[in-house]
Amino acid sequence: MAKAFRTSVVTANDLVEGTSVFLGAEGWHADIGRAMLAFTPEEGEGLAALAARFVEDNAVVEPYLVEVALEDGRPVPHLRRERIRASHAPTVAVGAAATPSRAAERRAA
Amino acid sequence: MYRYDEFDHRLVAERAGEFRAQVARRLDGSLTEDEFKPLRLMNGLYLQLHAYMLRVAIPYGTLDGRQMRRLAEIAERWDRGYGHFTTRQNIQFNWPKLKDVPDILDALAEVEMHAIQTSGNCIRNVTSDPLSGVAPEEIEDPRITAELIRQWSTLHPEFTFLGRKFKIAVTGSEHDRTAVMLHDIGLQIVRNEAGEVGYRVLVGGGMGRTPMIAGELRAFLPKADLLRYLEAALRVYNLHGRRDNKFKARIKILVHERGIDSYRDEVEAEFAALDGSDLVVPADEELARITAYFAPPALPEREEAPAVLERVKRQDPGFARWVGQNTHPHRVPGYTAVTVSLKPIGAPPGDATAEQMRAMAEVAERYSADELRVTHEQNVVLPHVALADLYQVYRGLAAVGLDAANRGLVTDIIACPGLDYCALATARSIPVAQEIQKRFASPERQAEIGPLSIKISGCINACGHHHVGHIGILGLDKAGVESYQITLGGDATETAALGQRTGPGFSYDQVPGVIGTLVERYLELRQGRETFLQTYRRVGMEPFKEALYADAA
Repeated sequence: MAKAFRTSVVTANDLVEGTSVFLGAEGWHADIGRAMLAFTPEEGEGLAALAARFVEDNAVVEPYLVEVALEDGRPVPHLRRERIRASHAPTVAVGAAATPSRAAERRAA
Repeated sequence: MYRYDEFDHRLVAERAGEFRAQVARRLDGSLTEDEFKPLRLMNGLYLQLHAYMLRVAIPYGTLDGRQMRRLAEIAERWDRGYGHFTTRQNIQFNWPKLKDVPDILDALAEVEMHAIQTSGNCIRNVTSDPLSGVAPEEIEDPRITAELIRQWSTLHPEFTFLGRKFKIAVTGSEHDRTAVMLHDIGLQIVRNEAGEVGYRVLVGGGMGRTPMIAGELRAFLPKADLLRYLEAALRVYNLHGRRDNKFKARIKILVHERGIDSYRDEVEAEFAALDGSDLVVPADEELARITAYFAPPALPEREEAPAVLERVKRQDPGFARWVGQNTHPHRVPGYTAVTVSLKPIGAPPGDATAEQMRAMAEVAERYSADELRVTHEQNVVLPHVALADLYQVYRGLAAVGLDAANRGLVTDIIACPGLDYCALATARSIPVAQEIQKRFASPERQAEIGPLSIKISGCINACGHHHVGHIGILGLDKAGVESYQITLGGDATETAALGQRTGPGFSYDQVPGVIGTLVERYLELRQGRETFLQTYRRVGMEPFKEALYADAA
């Protein structure tokens, strides 16, 4: 049996920046909250076709549909992978924010 | 230290210029993504979860202060102020923009660095022993061989589009610090009965979804035959290796399916057919030139047992612990090699900030003959430190939080970037490592446990080398939930072994407790100062399994 369609948004990576972006009514946005929603397979196909045009125009690469739930009207991906991707950051502190406190103390001094 | 000759300079500069033109053509739409992708991959540029990722080669893991400073500069100018040292002795930048990559490659080329052979289905950058030229038991510096292989393999027309990537490691010591038996081809420098130096050639090792320990292809290969033999080995693989299924395309599958004897017969036949070809190890002048570049630095005579060292160790227990854990014997009296642990408690394993890179560069320039080595365990080695200078080195590293005295201990965890960065990952690795580190943060506790390597991969591709961790952790996705399989008994050294699964996997939250249970059981079972691995090899899986699954039974 075919998997039931779940509400989805389209994501891709910005060609120049490489960052994850989401297809909204006025183009691509970093904020998944501005993404257009597909509630049916047909709407999903429509969004994918629209995204493909942006690929041809060299705006984005590797678009695909991401299944989401709506929480207070805001799309939240079902998969952890996609939630991390939509957050635009690792789940852990990185760089200077992750260095042990002694180094941070020294910098503050 | 190896230095580029004119040819190398030109090759790297031309390659950087070529990629600049390719990026320009991609940005103006002349190249599609399908056309551009293989080109960017041949220059170390991946597209990851959040952004592009640039993998920079550090051949044989060796670099100097100037190069480390340049990496710091790149991190600050074009990335987010840090980089990630990998299990293949490379460094990865996680946030470069496509339009900036040509400038980054130019900046690298200025200091004799590049991103060639860091990705794609080619012969990848050769890895080697971080204690090359240092270890007292070493027969010969393996980097000379590694450099010969680099010259032979770079842009090799026949081997630029192999069925799959191909990794070679070279070690010059019997005690293996290169995971030589887990490579497509592993070369161990040995002496034969006549006292001649040559190579023991291993083939078909690897990790990933089908882990295998390499088998012996040749017990002794004369040095002069090296390139011809490698050419033959690669040619047979290139001819017969599968291209219909990328998961079965590595040489380990070919060797496994045909049998090593059959593979060897074909290699030897090809090797014989190459007899008389001009593919010989360059004798005399060129070899002498390469060898001279890797000649040990002229180290001034220093005190063999400086009184100041013992005095400071008594005054500063943290320093004494660090000296005890993070230094290695050096062939020159009065000197030692220092491991700079990139595993401070709670930081992402293998990461270093620009500030930390500069601090390491400065310490290397002042106290380690201007040399640094990246290890496959995601640490950095200062190879030539005088014992009398150790405290200054320690203080310099401590100032930037790099004084963790944990080399080879339970908190010296190898971890791949996992789901926090990697497009292929199925589970997180970094936070798992951090939680385990926090659990065992006490230096006394770590010392009590002794040598214990934990290695974590966030997917079946095994970049975190979990198969050869004394305790291996493999993160998978089970119906949308992270699940972690545990393996025990893995070993990456000359006594290489693949870890065995304990049983059903555990949830993300359970993993630190699971490791705690395994360590507790080991401490109950061990005899004398037995290590975890020795205990496991004596008692087997059952007692550990009981401890983990007793409640479920």
